[in-house]
Amino acid sequence: MANAGWQRLLPSRAFGRFVGRRLVALVILSIGIVVVTFVLTHMVPANPALANLGQNPTPSEIRNFEQINGLNKPLPVQLGLYFEHLLQGNLGTSEVTNDPIVHDLGQTIPATAELAILSIAIALVFGVGFGLLAALRRNTVTDFILRILSLVGVSVPTFWLALIALYLFFFKLGIFPGGSRLSPADVPPPHVTGMYTVDALLAGQWSTLWDALRHLILPAIILAAANMGLLTRYTRSAVLEVMEQDYVRAARAKGLSRRSIVFGHILRAALPSIVTVIGLAFANVLTGAVLVENIFSWPGIGQYGYQASVALDLPAIAGVSLFIAVVYIVINFIVDVLYGVLDPRVRIQ
Amino acid sequence: MAGSAAAAVAISVAAGSGVATAKTASSANAGTLVVDTSFIISTADPARDLDPTGYIVDHALYDTLLTEHGASTKVAPDLATSYTASKNAKVFTFHLRHNAMFSDGTPVTSKDVVFSLNRVINVKSAPAYLLAGITVSAKGPYTVVLKSATPNPAVPEIVTTPALGIVNSKVVAAHGGSDAPNASKTDKAQQFLDSTSAGSGPYVLTQFSTNNQITLTANPHYWGKKPTFSRVVLRDMSAPTQLLNVQRGSDQIALDLSSSQAATLKNNSAVQVHTSASPNLFFLQLTSNPKVSPVMANPDIRKAIRYGLNYKAFTQTAGTGAVQAAGLIPVQFLGGLPTRDAVKQDLAKARALVKASGIKNPSATLAYPSDINVNGLAFATLAQLVQADLGAIGITIKVQAVPVAQFLTAYNADKYQLVQSYWGPDYADPNDYLVFLPGGSVSSRMDWPASANPQLVALGKRAGSTSNNALRAKLFTSIQKQLNASSPYIPMLQPAQAIVGSKNLTGVALNPSWLLSVAEIGTK
Repeated sequence: MANAGWQRLLPSRAFGRFVGRRLVALVILSIGIVVVTFVLTHMVPANPALANLGQNPTPSEIRNFEQINGLNKPLPVQLGLYFEHLLQGNLGTSEVTNDPIVHDLGQTIPATAELAILSIAIALVFGVGFGLLAALRRNTVTDFILRILSLVGVSVPTFWLALIALYLFFFKLGIFPGGSRLSPADVPPPHVTGMYTVDALLAGQWSTLWDALRHLILPAIILAAANMGLLTRYTRSAVLEVMEQDYVRAARAKGLSRRSIVFGHILRAALPSIVTVIGLAFANVLTGAVLVENIFSWPGIGQYGYQASVALDLPAIAGVSLFIAVVYIVINFIVDVLYGVLDPRVRIQ
Repeated sequence: MAGSAAAAVAISVAAGSGVATAKTASSANAGTLVVDTSFIISTADPARDLDPTGYIVDHALYDTLLTEHGASTKVAPDLATSYTASKNAKVFTFHLRHNAMFSDGTPVTSKDVVFSLNRVINVKSAPAYLLAGITVSAKGPYTVVLKSATPNPAVPEIVTTPALGIVNSKVVAAHGGSDAPNASKTDKAQQFLDSTSAGSGPYVLTQFSTNNQITLTANPHYWGKKPTFSRVVLRDMSAPTQLLNVQRGSDQIALDLSSSQAATLKNNSAVQVHTSASPNLFFLQLTSNPKVSPVMANPDIRKAIRYGLNYKAFTQTAGTGAVQAAGLIPVQFLGGLPTRDAVKQDLAKARALVKASGIKNPSATLAYPSDINVNGLAFATLAQLVQADLGAIGITIKVQAVPVAQFLTAYNADKYQLVQSYWGPDYADPNDYLVFLPGGSVSSRMDWPASANPQLVALGKRAGSTSNNALRAKLFTSIQKQLNASSPYIPMLQPAQAIVGSKNLTGVALNPSWLLSVAEIGTK
């Protein structure tokens, strides 16, 4: 009996096949994204040598640049070499910094990860919380205010919000510091993860941890604003839909506590819809990071990608695109698997 | 041979001088100086550095043979206490100071200078052109000779550029550096020089990131006067954020504020604001190829455009400190034309010239880089003014905004009819502007060959190789007047440049070559 109970919790064969199919699709999609990114960036009618060699390059300097960066080879050969290097974990060398792209990404990803994780956490806690509250207090003043706020969060441009927040909370009120990850007088903690808050915690550097947190909060809130609005709206409508279900009425009729109904029945049933939005929220964070990182001088992958685009640093553009695409695909994969975890129907089918 | 005819074109100073304005020991180690700027930097390796932010950094890390102080363009001693130049401006002999030391405490010798400059030549990266046609050799441990294949009186000015900073040859070679002829393939020292420095300048590199923060700390072995600030932090900041930071912080400098942003701080007692004419030059360039545009290649149309533009509107748009460019050479450089010689708008003359061209409904496309600003001024703003001005004299202009990487490619391939471009000085000498003469690399982009005006080419050669600065100034002035009379170039303006610093700082000044000398910043 005990075994049968455990088997019920395990994923079905069909679900295993579903996960397998998703994994294969993940690999194929990644290859496709590499090809598309590579071809598109190389189709831009511009010579990276001219974008990187100052205002008066000599023909010999241009030839040398093209030779070093393999730009003098036919496109299919360049693509073949790119894949060959990719299989060895080599994403090429930046035409601007001359550093391996893996090194540059290693420097920038932790900064974005730190920002993105806190931003998603803020969006999740407040977005779901506000959505639930709005639904439970439907058509009250609270609901009305939260709906307005969520609409503002979704519709106000991120760059505008970032500038206003910086002006108000840094310049006028002095509550938060300006841009950058640490105060100029502070020294980064010893490198372990590259995320200053985590590294400062591991090193027991409490003043650095506090400084890093103060620098992190404002850009994280700005980056979370759109997702907060999105999650509030989706959660509200998902919860309202579930609240009308018969089993919720039955639960009420059975005299279950309000807390048990809300968290055990309503929110649980609404979670699959909310999880879908979390997948979208990650995409929003990665695109929003380009603007927020530029305004807050946050040295993450958004700023790196922007600078690579301006300088037409082809390996860097391809590297950033590949990273973002893989993150996006992996997040969607996790979301798909979570459906199965949250909804037994998916697991069994 | 030429060396034996060395002329007494020498500067000599007492050894030990160098940094001009930093305060002495009493105020040393004042703390951290914060410089906010929008980073344009790819490396701290001087042999590969031709970027504005890179120049600020390398100027602090690496001494050069000669230097300049503050906003001045006058060469002053640095590692070389004096130099002599041959009469034919082909041989330059530099005498090195004996007390200069690298940050590891070893002495700077001619071997390091030869290694550093040959490395720049052979790595063949962006700064290599600075030493085109120049060979470097040592004459004893403290004498270096630079020989130019053609007369080049700009050499003393050229050797001040931070890209020609002197590195510790032993240390750099030990970390993959090479000055061999095949250094473009074999030199692997960039990563090392992006993580630490190997120079004899007032600071050493302790943290480097091309999109975040660069930290410099005072070099304990620096041979000159110790800088006031023991630590300098350069932060990558957008201009709006710089504007907020400089008002809240102390010991802080903002480098990228536009003239209008700087104007908002006029009554702020916490900061000092300095605006002046930037050495950057905005200009229009017209194709000389009738196949690309018969309209732009027409001499009457060219003149009409020159007289049809409202130059006052350009400078008003660019803000306080901007000046009309009378010629292609900035007004603050040797040979720069004074503003009184600038072309003045004459609409009647311009309309008459359009009529005289015989071209009915003349039109052209004006291309400009859309994703960069120079001194906070967008190319689009000026392009729209040009479009309106030329429309008023009967020339229809279609504006074409192009991302800079694509713009440069098409510009170099002679694909444009009319461009609005800019030139920033690589070094503060009129020789940097010889590329604008017929057949020069900039002229070739829009098909203005040497054969178009051989007299002007000959005059350029003479001006570029004359040792006597008074005569050079006269020759360059004459060249620019001729260019204004007939050429495919229309100088527009030198925009305003602003530097804003905390009130307590001294030495806050913009240098035409490396923007800011952080070692010269002191406190009141």
